[in-house]
Amino acid sequence: MFIRILKETSDELRIEIEGEGHTFCNPLQKILLEDEEVEVAGYDIPHPLFTKTILYIHTKGERKPKTALREALNKLRERSDDFKSAFEKTLKKE
Amino acid sequence: MDIQLIEKTNISMQLVIRGVDVPFMNALRRIMMAEVPSMAVDDVVFIENSSVLHDEVLAHRLGLVPLVTDLDSYNLPEKCTCKSEFGCNLCRVTLTLEAEASESITTIYTGDLKSEDPHITPVSDKIPLVKLAPGQKIKLEAYARLGTEMVHAKWQPVSVCAYKYLPQINIDEKLCNACEECVKICSKKVLVRDENKIVPKNTIECTLCQDCVKVCSSPPAINVAWSDDSYVFNIETDEVLPPERIVLEALNILNRKIDDLLGQLTTKNELLH
Repeated sequence: MFIRILKETSDELRIEIEGEGHTFCNPLQKILLEDEEVEVAGYDIPHPLFTKTILYIHTKGERKPKTALREALNKLRERSDDFKSAFEKTLKKE
Repeated sequence: MDIQLIEKTNISMQLVIRGVDVPFMNALRRIMMAEVPSMAVDDVVFIENSSVLHDEVLAHRLGLVPLVTDLDSYNLPEKCTCKSEFGCNLCRVTLTLEAEASESITTIYTGDLKSEDPHITPVSDKIPLVKLAPGQKIKLEAYARLGTEMVHAKWQPVSVCAYKYLPQINIDEKLCNACEECVKICSKKVLVRDENKIVPKNTIECTLCQDCVKVCSSPPAINVAWSDDSYVFNIETDEVLPPERIVLEALNILNRKIDDLLGQLTTKNELLH
C-alpha cells in the first residue's frame, strides 16, 4: 500500500491509495459514515484495471478529516481484534 | 461479537457470526479469497517431454495442482530476503518428475512428483497429470512458490468462501393449519411436521427463497426473515491450509493494512504535489 495526499484542507481530505480497492475501503467508508462529524465519506475506483482508489472525506468543520480517518482506522482495528479474540475463543472451546 | 462454530472438519468450517457489519464480513471474505497466500507451481523447466501434451499444457496442469502450504517457513518471493528473481530455499520449492512408459499406456499421477521438501507435497497422490504411451518420456523440474489469487486463481486457498444472512423462520400457530404444503415445497427440507404443527428444523440451511411463504394460505402463517448483523459463514479449502488458519491469516492481513495506512498518515503530512 502506498498513499498520496491529493487534497487536504480543514474539512476535506482526498487521498489516493495504491494497491487497495473495495476490500479495504468499503469497511473504512462504513465506519467513517458512522461518525457524526463526517458529512461525506466515500471512495472511487477510477479504472477497474488499476488498483488505485481515491478515498475522500468531508467533515462538518469541527474536526480535521485526517483525525476522523485515524479514528476510523483505530475503530476498524478494534473490530478486527474483537473478531480475532472471539474466533480464537470459539476454536479453543472445541 | 459472538462466533459460534457449527461444524468443522479438516477441510471445511461453518460459523454463525453475530454482531458484525456487511462491509467487514465482505472484507474478510475478499481477503481470504484473494490475499491469503498459498503454494503452487509457477515455473517449469522441461528437460524432456515426448508425451502428447505440449509443454505449456502440462505446465498449466502442474500449476493447478493444490500443494500443502507451509506459511510459517516460506516467504512470498517479492518479500523474501534473498531479493533474487530465481528464488532461494526460503521462497521456492523444487518438485521433480521423471517418468517413462515402458510396455503399456501409463498414467502419471501427482504422486510421481518428488518434492525436495517433504512438507510441501500435492494434497492428493491421485490427480492424473498425463498419459504416456510406450516409449514416451517426461523429465521436468517444477518450481513452486507462494502467491496470491490476485495474480492467478491457482493460488486461491479456498474453494468455497461465502456468507449469508442468518435466517429466522416464524410460524404463527393460530394461522397454520398444518397442511404440509410448505414442507413439500422446501428444497432444503428446513420444515418438518411435528404432531399437528409445522416446526423449522435446521434453520441454517434455509436459502431465504420464500417459496414456503408463497405456497402458504393468505395471510401466510409462515414468515421467513433474516437478521441484519448475523451471518452464516461457510469456508471450504482444497486442503492446502486448515480453514481456521485461513481466517486468522485474513485477520492478520487486514490488521497489517490498517497499521500500514495509519503509519503512512503520520509520516506524510505535507502534500506531495
